[in-house]
Amino acid sequence: MKKEHNALRAVQRAVLAPYGVWALLFIVVPLLFVAYYAFTDSNFAFTTDNITRFFTAKSQVSTDAGGTREVYTYLLIFWRSLKLAIISTVICLLMGYPTAYILSRASERVQKILITLIMIPMWMNFLIRTYAWMTILQDTGILNRLLAAVGLGPVHVIGTETAVVIGMVYDYFPYMILPIYSVMAKLDMKLVEAAKDLGCNGWNVMRRVIFPLSLPGVISGVTMVLIPSISTFYISQKLGNGKFYLIGDAIEGQYVANNLHFAAAIAFILMIVLLVCMALMQRYANRKAVA
Amino acid sequence: MKTSSKIFTALILIFLFAPIVILLVFSFNASKSLSVMSGGSLYWYRELFRDAETLGAVRNTLVLAISAALISTVMGTAAAVGIHRLRSKAVRLGYEQVTNIPMTNPDIITGISLMLMFVFVGRLFGASTSLNFWTMLIAHITFCLPYVILQVLPKLQQMDNSLSEAAMDLGCTPMQAFFRVEIPEIMPGVVTGLIMAFTLSLDDFVISYFTSGNGFETLPIRIYNMTKKTVTPKMYALSTIIFFTILALLIMSNLIDTSAPGVEKPLRRERTASQKKRLRVAGAIGGVLAAGMIAVMIIGAPDHPVLNVYNWGEYISDGSEDSFNTIRGFEQWYKENYGSEVEVNYTTFASNEDMYSKISSGAVSYDVIIPSDYMIARMREEGMLLPLNFDNIPNYENIGENFRGLYYDPDDEYTVPYTYSFVGVIWDAERVDEEDTGDWDLMWNEKYKGDILQFNNSRDAFATAQYKLGLDVNDTDPESWRRALEELKRQQPLVKSYVMDEIYNMMESGEAAVASYYAGDYFTMLDAEADNVDLRFYVPERTNYFIDAMCIPSCCQQKELAEAFINYMLEEEPAIANAEYICYGCPNRVVYESEEYAEDMGEEAMEILYPNLDVFAENFNRFAYRNLDAATLSLVNSLWEELKIN
Repeated sequence: MKKEHNALRAVQRAVLAPYGVWALLFIVVPLLFVAYYAFTDSNFAFTTDNITRFFTAKSQVSTDAGGTREVYTYLLIFWRSLKLAIISTVICLLMGYPTAYILSRASERVQKILITLIMIPMWMNFLIRTYAWMTILQDTGILNRLLAAVGLGPVHVIGTETAVVIGMVYDYFPYMILPIYSVMAKLDMKLVEAAKDLGCNGWNVMRRVIFPLSLPGVISGVTMVLIPSISTFYISQKLGNGKFYLIGDAIEGQYVANNLHFAAAIAFILMIVLLVCMALMQRYANRKAVA
Repeated sequence: MKTSSKIFTALILIFLFAPIVILLVFSFNASKSLSVMSGGSLYWYRELFRDAETLGAVRNTLVLAISAALISTVMGTAAAVGIHRLRSKAVRLGYEQVTNIPMTNPDIITGISLMLMFVFVGRLFGASTSLNFWTMLIAHITFCLPYVILQVLPKLQQMDNSLSEAAMDLGCTPMQAFFRVEIPEIMPGVVTGLIMAFTLSLDDFVISYFTSGNGFETLPIRIYNMTKKTVTPKMYALSTIIFFTILALLIMSNLIDTSAPGVEKPLRRERTASQKKRLRVAGAIGGVLAAGMIAVMIIGAPDHPVLNVYNWGEYISDGSEDSFNTIRGFEQWYKENYGSEVEVNYTTFASNEDMYSKISSGAVSYDVIIPSDYMIARMREEGMLLPLNFDNIPNYENIGENFRGLYYDPDDEYTVPYTYSFVGVIWDAERVDEEDTGDWDLMWNEKYKGDILQFNNSRDAFATAQYKLGLDVNDTDPESWRRALEELKRQQPLVKSYVMDEIYNMMESGEAAVASYYAGDYFTMLDAEADNVDLRFYVPERTNYFIDAMCIPSCCQQKELAEAFINYMLEEEPAIANAEYICYGCPNRVVYESEEYAEDMGEEAMEILYPNLDVFAENFNRFAYRNLDAATLSLVNSLWEELKIN
């Protein structure tokens, strides 16, 4: 009988092979190509110029005082992308966490309906959704017409940081809710009750029991929002009035200009930075989990 | 639920559905605008169903999403089972890390990395095209796999191993134990994985953007390529239909089966016989559907020749808005004249540079392309164009004398002009004083601060400054470009937005009052302007003149067929239809000498588009863009970035 158990397990390990080959060919090797292009020139000779250019290219920007100041072009672009992505992620978390909590406490029927409602916008085309936001946020758009109707406004949103953040929050919000919700739905309510019995108040239950237990969901939600929002180029083009030039725009710009090697260099640096960020976050989560 | 929770949830839902409501409403717009509602109608729905190209893109998107979802679900489930049974901790960790890569890497990196590899390998093997349906499918499967694995793996971990072992002890074969005991245990994870993979593939734009190739255009790519022209409410109509289809499907599935995937219920192990049957039927239907679709992709290659045409988005009369369908027209005409079937595979690009990148990297191969003058010059110099055999293009005699022998093709060997136009300034007479108009200074006028729109592409934006300053747009002296940059920086505080296709909505609705754009597009805006907007147009003395011409790239597989197509495009019916649809000037005599055409276009349009054709060649050779050398192109790119980070 033991033999059969082993036979099943052996077959099951064998079916991993196709994925192993696939992952090697289409996940690992392409990344090596990014590195290869990043460190070569257009004749495929080794060079570090692309990488150096990222860190040393300078531009003149005008200051508020009317003068000009020299800045590192790509470092500034990178910093701005990171800033907008972090703001969007924090807002997503602040909105998504309570939503996921409410969701996980609702009746099963309500849970199902709400999850469906949250998923539906993801099935509509992403470009079209962003376009619709333009219609809403324009100076003469729906929002301002509504405000004017009740005697308020007008507010200037389109083309500002706020508009870009709204676009990012909107598009990536479901990615924050879903992982947090799936962790919370499995949360053992006995722990919460025990904490309450032992004299914890509502806030402390949240802080000391629920939040630490939901941390894996939060980490994966944060990852799933931060990563796409740092590299977006469509949202910034449409809702930023073309005035926001983010790291995604820079990569796409170099690609369109047929400058594949420099595009690869920017992508390579972005990848390394994100890998470091993810590793740090994972470490923080692990330490929290141990504590 | 507590009241505060209810209010919070309601607010979140309003936020999520606000844009959806907007696009539902505007899909019923009577006019072409996406920002000014002028009465309800079903016009755009009719349009949508006549638009074979868009429906084709929808079909492609579905084929891709269903194939990618099914393949990644099967492979991903197998992978999860394998990973779960791995004995070595280190190998297991390795697999988990690799699986995480596509999830922790931005789309743009996944897209670029795959594109670089496909193009490199394609070149190595001398393939005529390296990007196609298959590369896109590989890309989609690759980014869907991790999501499936991460859904299935936890279910495996929760599963009790002794169950399948008990089954085997009781006489089940290992296979039976796996399929009858283990698979049903992990089914909720598999279904959630499948749905996630389908959703992600359906909505993906970035990875598709980098890996899409020959003749296989998905919906997101098609929409993105509309950026030179405009996104019409047709796309909103399509979204509305998608919305209600999904809603209907969801409601139906809820009525049939009250157990949602992903939400686990205890003691649900016993499925009723009818549930089991339904699952099996659903599985069978899905499998047959996918197999059929993939079979169509493999053997569906028609036995008659296929002509691949690559053109700007929205740059051909395609049967929409009651126009003549040029593409179908050609297929019919070819059959009547040559007696054999032919199929046109029509795809679009967003810019000359986009097209050049794709063709020069060997990613795609086309038979007919329609780039602009300076790009033609570059491709000709780089040996990327084939000389035409004009014996096959007798209609070339219809091309006006003024449009021959121009700098990009001085001996008329490689090109047949398709359209021409020039850049002018559009202004709203309700808000702009007429005395301020006439030259480029209007675009720099402090009075209209915050109401000015500038091009969101480097060459056109720099050109406005260069024409204003009297500089040469083709200068190779970096100082000259720096001066233009300073002028653009000076303009920057006045600029409301850097735009391409967004200009339509912004000018039509009065969101902005001054903009420079291409002559013909002004008429499109005029048709949709709001009541309180009064758009006018003028052409500054020094401005960009351009010609887009039909050429045959050296990767062409069917030269004679391509020449037949070019010849057909010069025939009266398609030529007039295209000229009326695109609204740019047409270098074809049978068009601009046609009274019917002049009547359709109206007096103002004829005056603007066909000023004095005798001076056209002179102006064109003087002001048109030339191909810039690599160093200057790179400089312009850096200067543009410098402007944009301000």
